[in-house]
Amino acid sequence: MANGFLFDVRVIELGDEKGEFCGKLFAGAGADVIKVEPPGGSPTRRIGPFYKDTPHPDRSLYFWNYNLGKRGVTLDIAAAQGTEIFRKLIGNAAVLIDSSPLDTLENLGLDWGALQKLNPGLVYLRITPFGRSGPWRDLKACDLVHLALGGEMMLCGYDPKPDGTYDTPPIAPQMWHAWHICGNQAFIAALGALLARADTGEGDMIDIPVHHAVSVCTEVDVPYWIYARGTCLRQTGRHAFTTIGPPSQHKAKDGRYCNVVANPFPGGRETMIEFLREMGLQGDLDDEKYKDPANLVGFDFIHHFAKIQAAAVAAFKAEELWRKAQDRGIPWVPVRHPEENLNDEQWQIRGTFADVDHPELGVRLRYAIAPTRAEECPWRMGPRAPLVGEHNQAVFCQELGITPDELERMRQARVI
Amino acid sequence: MRPLQGVRILDLTWLLAGAGGPRLLAALGAEVIRLEWRDRLDFLRYSPPVIPVEGATEARREMKSVNRGGLFNDNNPGKRSFSLNMAHPKGREVFKRLVKVSDVVVESFRADAMTKWGLGYEVLRSLKPDIIYVQQSGWGHKGPYWKYASYGPIAQAISGLTDESGLPEPYPPAGWGYSYMDWSGAYYTAISMLLALYYKKRTGKGQYIDGSQIEPGIFMTGTAILDYLVNGRHYQRTGNRSPYKPAAPHGAYQCAGADRWIAIAVFDDQEWHALAAAMGDPAWTRDPKFATLATRIINQDELDARISEWTRGQDPFALQDRLQKAGVAAGVCQTTEDRVERDPQLKHLKWLIPLPNAEVGTWPVKDVPFHFVKATVDQGGPIGRASPCYGEDNDYVYGELLKMSAQERAELEKEGVI
Repeated sequence: MANGFLFDVRVIELGDEKGEFCGKLFAGAGADVIKVEPPGGSPTRRIGPFYKDTPHPDRSLYFWNYNLGKRGVTLDIAAAQGTEIFRKLIGNAAVLIDSSPLDTLENLGLDWGALQKLNPGLVYLRITPFGRSGPWRDLKACDLVHLALGGEMMLCGYDPKPDGTYDTPPIAPQMWHAWHICGNQAFIAALGALLARADTGEGDMIDIPVHHAVSVCTEVDVPYWIYARGTCLRQTGRHAFTTIGPPSQHKAKDGRYCNVVANPFPGGRETMIEFLREMGLQGDLDDEKYKDPANLVGFDFIHHFAKIQAAAVAAFKAEELWRKAQDRGIPWVPVRHPEENLNDEQWQIRGTFADVDHPELGVRLRYAIAPTRAEECPWRMGPRAPLVGEHNQAVFCQELGITPDELERMRQARVI
Repeated sequence: MRPLQGVRILDLTWLLAGAGGPRLLAALGAEVIRLEWRDRLDFLRYSPPVIPVEGATEARREMKSVNRGGLFNDNNPGKRSFSLNMAHPKGREVFKRLVKVSDVVVESFRADAMTKWGLGYEVLRSLKPDIIYVQQSGWGHKGPYWKYASYGPIAQAISGLTDESGLPEPYPPAGWGYSYMDWSGAYYTAISMLLALYYKKRTGKGQYIDGSQIEPGIFMTGTAILDYLVNGRHYQRTGNRSPYKPAAPHGAYQCAGADRWIAIAVFDDQEWHALAAAMGDPAWTRDPKFATLATRIINQDELDARISEWTRGQDPFALQDRLQKAGVAAGVCQTTEDRVERDPQLKHLKWLIPLPNAEVGTWPVKDVPFHFVKATVDQGGPIGRASPCYGEDNDYVYGELLKMSAQERAELEKEGVI
């Protein structure tokens, strides 16, 4: 029985964190993802945090999160025997995700032409920092540098001082968003290629430069520049814009924060004022002068209104009032810590999280597994990320016919 | 050939979290027909920045058209537009005829809009048994919050992404300076449609997908959640410092010019020595405090201050060049102007594609970052256009697709249906 959207798709994943999130999406959607790691394990196993804060290749929570549902083998693809086995793996895969350093496969005689001969149906997803050609081809990058060059940083951060100058740096939102942004778009491209392949039997090669992916993931700033030569200025907790808008992130009574839309969609402000009035938090909005609708618009008013909103948020704890506001259609939410969503009924009912066993540690942990809800094709609920070389035997012996003795020789020769 | 040739998407989305999904499928070659009605337009059709009709120099001019919204033009390239009044019963009947000739129905209304119109999944399926119905609402259709409102900053705040971004306390969260979750919403609208199309190709079955703008945000906080579950740790913001992959320096450093910054990241000793050499090996770099990655991390405040002193007077691009030549990961915190007007790599990758719109002419639009070797893929889609003018493709939709007679169409127009 078909299980998951991509029940008949096999993916080989090679490389580092640039491609891991994309591989996770494939695995979550039901594909059989085999992660090929160098002997000893992927360098991403060294990224923290670690289980019980004990660094170990099989205890990286980072690795667990980004490799959920995959199988893992170790293989030195540069060794002669390793290259031969890698060719066999590619030979019966639908997709190869490759985020290894530039020219890695070319240097092994596996350029696109050779890959096509090996497997005409292969969808080859090549993720590189800047692309395979161009003046910045060989630049060195990382998550931070990508978010700098891609424009995200100049749009994220804190309000300037009243004189318009900034005393805080632009901010790169942490926790690996360059890889998320790239992985999402790479997955979309690969799915397009898989659909074409289903018709024609032919694969394709797709270059996904992280720099390109990250640069197109900003929002209003590019149109503002192109059509109006406007520069969007970063501001705390809200949209960067050509002018400094009213604040929308306010401190609640318990020191936590809430985000309240300062300048709601058409009609939204009236609903908000009505709600504040019912809560007795309308500030001075019942003053005579506000009976004139002309005084309910404009720069001064929206900044004044933001102060009233701030006082309303300050009167309650962050989690106390927002559902009441939302019941009225007012988009008001607490700024949550990630784990605070674990126990929210909304996500429990939707199956956003699932418990995954780590039998060798005797623990069961809750993972965020579903970015959408699909009853026909549920997102995969595990198994946990592979241990180093966990599936060597299953893949190399059972599938490729290597004998256990040969496997042992390979282990001794550090090919696996 | 385009990968999604022959796929038709009936697009009832708006803004970016919805409309960005079909946008991506148009780039892959799907035919996207966008349903619109004049009384309830996507307000980005008439929101600033207004596209100047006579060249780029004039910043803004009075807006009288619904075809000059700059954001709309960037969110909807490659799509066709037709006008249909869904509030009219006859409009819904016409809609049903379109469902029969479409592969996907996608919408980002409030969660109950379609059922109110009597057009839930069961009805759509009765019209076309293998239809794919993707609903992209704020919080998702199933669950107690289904009525709640969301848009980018709200989705970011509730999901935990805002909390993860910014300087350590006592600074408040900085969050995201744009609707990151609108793009993520768009990505998952696209992913939902593509996954369902693949599954249909393999099994013949359609399906319903209940998307939420917020869930992809939660999905991206998984590592912090695990850290909480096994180590009891709340995520602590680190500014621009690397939270879990050891690095120092790792931050943004001020350069010459107004609000100019460069990001520099050093993950090992080799990169550290390269950085020290690029700085001219000043004596302080040989201080035992900075001898190893571990000690550099402990002494990061002082390290950052030292590096800032060095970067302060320098041109950011010359510095990027110099550091990269030395083997150090460094990149200017580029402004939008930098990316559009100067970035040589983005130029090389042709990240902006000039596309025509019938009213405003040809303007650059952000192209998809997928560079296919064999297939034809670009943001103009099969029709090679920027965003459609309102109702621009009524002839195509009513004439060619539905083969509606001139008389029927005239009557529907008279009744305010089309």
